[in-house]
Amino acid sequence: MADASQTDAKLVESETTETDAVAGVAVGLSAVLFSLSVAAMFERVSLTGSLLGLPTVTLLGGLLTALGVAVVAFGAGSRLGYVETDPDPSAGLVAGFGAAVPWIVVGGSVASQTLALGTAVGVVAGMAVGGVAFALTVLPREDVGSTLPLGSLLALTGLVFLTGVIGPAWVWELDWAQQAAITAEFLIPVATLFSALYGGWASAKAYGGFGARGRHMGAYVLVYLNALSIVAFLFILVAFVVVQGIPGLLNGVELGLGSGPQTTILGVSVTLPVSVPFVMNGVALFNDFQGVLPAIVGTVWLVLGAVVLAVPLGVGAALFLTEYADRGRFTQVVEIATNGLWSTPSIVFGLFGFAFLIPRFGNGKSLLSGMVTLGFMLLPLVVITSREAMLSVPDEYRDASAALGVSKWQTIRSVVLPAALPGVVTGVILGVGRIAGETAPILLTMAGGTFVPGSQTVDVLGSFQFTSAPPFVANPALLEATSALPYQLYALISAGVGASSNVGNADEFRWATALVLLVVVLSFYAIGIATRYYFRRRLKHT
Amino acid sequence: MPTVTDALGGRVIDALGAQLRRVMEFADETEPPALAIISAMTLSLLATLVGFLAVSDLTIVPFSVFLAAAGIGWFRYQEETAYTIALMMTVSTILILGLIIVFIFRESIPVIRYESATVFGITVPGIRMFIQPEWDAVSPPIRYSMVPMIHGTVMVTLIASAVAAPLGVSAALFLSEIAPATVREVVKPGVEILAGIPSIVYGFIGFTVLGPWASDQFRTTGQGSYLFVGIVVGLMALPTVVSVAEDALSSVPESMKSGSLAMGTTDWQTMTSITLPAAFSGVSAAVLLGVGRAIGETMAATVMLRGVPRLTEPLVNVFYGQETLTSIIARNYGEADGLQMDALFVAGVILFITVLVISVGAQYIEWRMHKRLGGEI
Repeated sequence: MADASQTDAKLVESETTETDAVAGVAVGLSAVLFSLSVAAMFERVSLTGSLLGLPTVTLLGGLLTALGVAVVAFGAGSRLGYVETDPDPSAGLVAGFGAAVPWIVVGGSVASQTLALGTAVGVVAGMAVGGVAFALTVLPREDVGSTLPLGSLLALTGLVFLTGVIGPAWVWELDWAQQAAITAEFLIPVATLFSALYGGWASAKAYGGFGARGRHMGAYVLVYLNALSIVAFLFILVAFVVVQGIPGLLNGVELGLGSGPQTTILGVSVTLPVSVPFVMNGVALFNDFQGVLPAIVGTVWLVLGAVVLAVPLGVGAALFLTEYADRGRFTQVVEIATNGLWSTPSIVFGLFGFAFLIPRFGNGKSLLSGMVTLGFMLLPLVVITSREAMLSVPDEYRDASAALGVSKWQTIRSVVLPAALPGVVTGVILGVGRIAGETAPILLTMAGGTFVPGSQTVDVLGSFQFTSAPPFVANPALLEATSALPYQLYALISAGVGASSNVGNADEFRWATALVLLVVVLSFYAIGIATRYYFRRRLKHT
Repeated sequence: MPTVTDALGGRVIDALGAQLRRVMEFADETEPPALAIISAMTLSLLATLVGFLAVSDLTIVPFSVFLAAAGIGWFRYQEETAYTIALMMTVSTILILGLIIVFIFRESIPVIRYESATVFGITVPGIRMFIQPEWDAVSPPIRYSMVPMIHGTVMVTLIASAVAAPLGVSAALFLSEIAPATVREVVKPGVEILAGIPSIVYGFIGFTVLGPWASDQFRTTGQGSYLFVGIVVGLMALPTVVSVAEDALSSVPESMKSGSLAMGTTDWQTMTSITLPAAFSGVSAAVLLGVGRAIGETMAATVMLRGVPRLTEPLVNVFYGQETLTSIIARNYGEADGLQMDALFVAGVILFITVLVISVGAQYIEWRMHKRLGGEI
């Protein structure tokens, strides 16, 4: 398909004319307006200030009017035969509804608010105006239908801004019991945003010369914009957390031999060459720099516990379902149950842990309850991904092994499991990334304090002990409440400003916690995605 | 729901019956010592389960027996032991779902009794939670109404779906039909990472950045609005919609698409008249699952909402955000005990049932689509 569209593009290029250039400029203008409106929404561009020597609102209005006029002119030119296009008899119902919606809003609000005719008249007027726009889109030939209603909408919005009917100080007080108002700060960017989208759509259609190719163009502009926005959104989100979190994270960082704390690696005592207090300290009165070490260690143990519980269970279940069981009622029920478990809200898992696990594990919030709850959450993911991995092992492998006369279990153990391993591992890592960031289930089952002293860092391996009474093995560390990164962040948020006395700059501390959490979770994802990529490459080569 | 559980229960019983027959056949074919080990494993694991449910300290005893039996079985009769363990693990997934149902229902019974009311002369347990909008856990008359939270969840879910459905389906189209291979290699992991960002991080950004900004823009008193919680939750549900819809779109046979392209259509025409209609049920299942995600989203809502369970005035006032079914649980579990805690379990039951119905519905739709496209189920 990609090749086909490239050919299309070449054909268009070879026929470029001035009129195509006009439509292309209109598309570019929409892009400019789109970015301006986004910038204005997040107050990067001031509505009261000026841009390029013009007041911002006037500039936006002028650009919108120009775009609207260009779109209408292109449509009219095509209808009168000055521009060579290839329009269909009608723009179609989808375009009709697309044009009707903004006109309903405009007509309704003008009638009910500007003319103060009341809600009922507003609804009727909105419907009437929307109906006219719908008819104007659907009934005429496509070149007029897909430009006139949208172009005039753009021109109208532009003129409203240009004439100052809606200026930077405009406000519409909603007469509601809980008071709220729609201000120009909100309305102008949002109206510009949607107008720019409509303008881009209409002018992209015009650029493609209407008809099937025009619609293709119009749709592709929107679809590409959407994909680009999602990636940009992700990038901005991560960058924002990083920028906000870095100062807190780097508080008191020291580099150099012997600057870090002592730790034991494989029985050898080593002094780390770097000291990052935020991830190496707890919270204590006499600490120079406070940190979240207990929460990090808590998260690690939590994830380990969940993996130890869920992975064998999940892989075993997937193995039974794919290799042993015949397709039937039983497998269907298991499938419905696993998918149901997968979509069960995390807070419901928390409630379940609260009602079921806490009374059974020492009657208090504990690390163990948190592990088991998260394990239950991880289980359906492991089952689903392992099943997919095992189903994708070709049957020839199994047949070849069976032909050697070995038993079914030997086939599974030495053929199916190794072949499915990459898929299982990837699935588990991605699943772990998801549960590592979960707050709701551990809120009710294992949450500890807001600021945890470094002395409370859990030491699970060191606290196993044997007792004389049943159950004979005890591990106090497992049965104590402890903190984890997501919970710590929640506690910091809900503790509010009063908590600041403890850690100096509370805001920095929070953002740094968010950053550490994000780094932990995203590194699971990075490893998972990299593993998948690696195995895929290797499979292709062999 | 009772009918669904009954039907489900009936199926489970049927399935277990069939399984029992197979177990009998299996017993006939297996050597007696292996059979003994397997029975020892099964019985001791059952005893462990019973002991665990009965909160007994002695649970460790049958569990050790199970471990020992499994250990011996592994060395002597690996084939049979592996089969048995795999079967047990499979049963455990159903068991966990069953336990969740039993325990959250059981905890919610007292408040359902408390909130009984008489409608048309018939006393219906729990109905008062749905016919009046007062939630007051402190001063008498003490009332636990679910209406404000249901309203909140509906508002948030509607807004979230309006965000996630169009953007998600369009992104799925982009990934499966439009994007060149190199772009897909970048965008697809991006969408996955978007799913991985913890909800509390979204909530934190919403709380510190979006909340003050929104209350400033709309001149509301205090911060917290359904509108922005809905938008944030919609962005969080987006990856679910994208990945499920993309699976559905790429399961449309290539021959159908090529056939259309051979007629001289544009790519977009092929998408709108062949690919999307053929994958329609899969795409709607994706949207449904996204809705399920939005309903169950907890932490972003908890942090961004006001935490006062009441209806907004008027009902369509999306600039104020009070409380949702999920956030009331996360916010109140700490100080709640007795009836109030049970009321939180009712919220959990409503969530669980809604999302389970959505999940089963989505699975049914997907299953029908696969059947129609003639692929393997």
